[in-house]
Amino acid sequence: MLQLLLLGSALAGLLAFLAAIFENEDSDAGSASNPNSQVQLAPQIEHLHRYYNKAIAGEPPQNALWAALAATIAYILYSRLGMDPIPGVILGSVLGALIASLLQGMYGSLAHISRIASMKNFKQMLYWDSLLSPLPLSMTYTFFSALCLTLLSFVIHGLLGSPFPVPLIAMFLGFTLGAIASSTGDVHYGAERLYQHYTFGSGIAISKQGDIDVKGEYGYRNSVDTPYFTLRFGGPVTGLTFGLLILIDTLSRTSGSVWTSVILEFSIIALILIFIIYLEKYTRDRYGPFEEGK
Amino acid sequence: MDPVTAMFLIIAGGVLVGVCVHFIPASAVGAMSASTGIATGPSMLSFGAGLSGILSASFALDSGLAAMLASGAAGSTLMVVLTILGGNLVNAFGTGVPPVSGQTASGQSVLGSSTKDAITGWEQKPFVTPGTDGHGMPVQTAISGVIGGIIGGLGGAMVFFGVQFMFVPVSQEAAGLSGMIAAGIFLINCVLPAYTLVGKTEGMFDRKMLRVPKTFLSCLIVSTFLALIIYSTSTYASMGAT
Repeated sequence: MLQLLLLGSALAGLLAFLAAIFENEDSDAGSASNPNSQVQLAPQIEHLHRYYNKAIAGEPPQNALWAALAATIAYILYSRLGMDPIPGVILGSVLGALIASLLQGMYGSLAHISRIASMKNFKQMLYWDSLLSPLPLSMTYTFFSALCLTLLSFVIHGLLGSPFPVPLIAMFLGFTLGAIASSTGDVHYGAERLYQHYTFGSGIAISKQGDIDVKGEYGYRNSVDTPYFTLRFGGPVTGLTFGLLILIDTLSRTSGSVWTSVILEFSIIALILIFIIYLEKYTRDRYGPFEEGK
Repeated sequence: MDPVTAMFLIIAGGVLVGVCVHFIPASAVGAMSASTGIATGPSMLSFGAGLSGILSASFALDSGLAAMLASGAAGSTLMVVLTILGGNLVNAFGTGVPPVSGQTASGQSVLGSSTKDAITGWEQKPFVTPGTDGHGMPVQTAISGVIGGIIGGLGGAMVFFGVQFMFVPVSQEAAGLSGMIAAGIFLINCVLPAYTLVGKTEGMFDRKMLRVPKTFLSCLIVSTFLALIIYSTSTYASMGAT
């Protein structure tokens, strides 16, 4: 029993880590989270851009939709096909994630076209290459993140014994992952990638907002090269956050007692708080003080 | 426990959820490192934390109310504290700015004219980059987030337990059904404070904390309405079953 729980925790942690990286890159490639306000603002201050902008829903509900859709299809196929558990779950999850990613492609292209068309008054043009080159990339990331989240839901339901049905777990995890990815990894995109022409560490003043970087290493910048940048730091930090959440949550339960797991989780929370204090001390020693007007 | 007590548990849980949103620091402009708080909307972030709390609480379904509440609080708090850690890591090494509270630096928080962190006593003002309203989550906001996570987790688990207690006699899939309904009630009570917070809060030291009574009242009204619907549905269903 203990071995099964340990195996389940390790598998859940790994899948959560991968799902978070892929989800974050999907949102970065499609400007899907809060930084979309900058991409939306740019044409209004005469910065015509070639970013792919599919943000017409918040990242958490959007991601919950893809995960729940993939998990529902996977669960139906798994229970109807009558195959052995492991090949049945894997086949079902792949087909479910495939359908979710196809739907995401449809949603993304329509969202991008309508988003850009609404900027017609500011002479923003609809560049087909800025839609057609990042679209398959973004769909691929959605496929992998939906696949990992579906497999993770099966692991939590089957190996770790949650009483919730698989699609509901997938919706819960998809929502939590969307909230985490939009608040950790997307900062790297919104505050650094979009403003790379400003000095590192100078801060993004409110007056600079909308002045996004439209030219990149190879001429006009396209969203397809955003994950190339954010995968180096923003993605892994998102993976670390969500992976640690699932790993700590599942590992603390291997003892079998609820109270032991609660005490373990709160002691880990205290350790993380101490780490946060040291991190703040480190950054204060390293950056600043800043002077007004410089 | 009788169904009426379970109904009051749902109401109390809903109100706690509404209050927790005030404690969790969140700001959409934080995604550009231009404002203090976790870089997403307060409602969505609290809902994400609440869902991980409900999922944690579901593992303690057979261990009684106290174990479920503790488990839910632990799950939510863990999510909030890890998100604060991730956000601070990206701000420190991806953007190159230290965590600092903008409202405390400008002397407008509930601490009065003090520009120092309430817990560590570190001066905030010189560390705000020019033209921004703070960035990252300094220690006072992190502690506030932990308190918010505990309150939200308790609230979510309370609602979950109340709904589950009412649905066990009438449904074979009581756990899944009540998880779904608890998530729905959590979402409604998370979105209501959006009207008082207007997209941004720095946690318990923010001046918007003074608007908690408004949130309390609106969440009380909505939760009472929802609890009455759930109570009447389950009572009607059990009458049909017997």
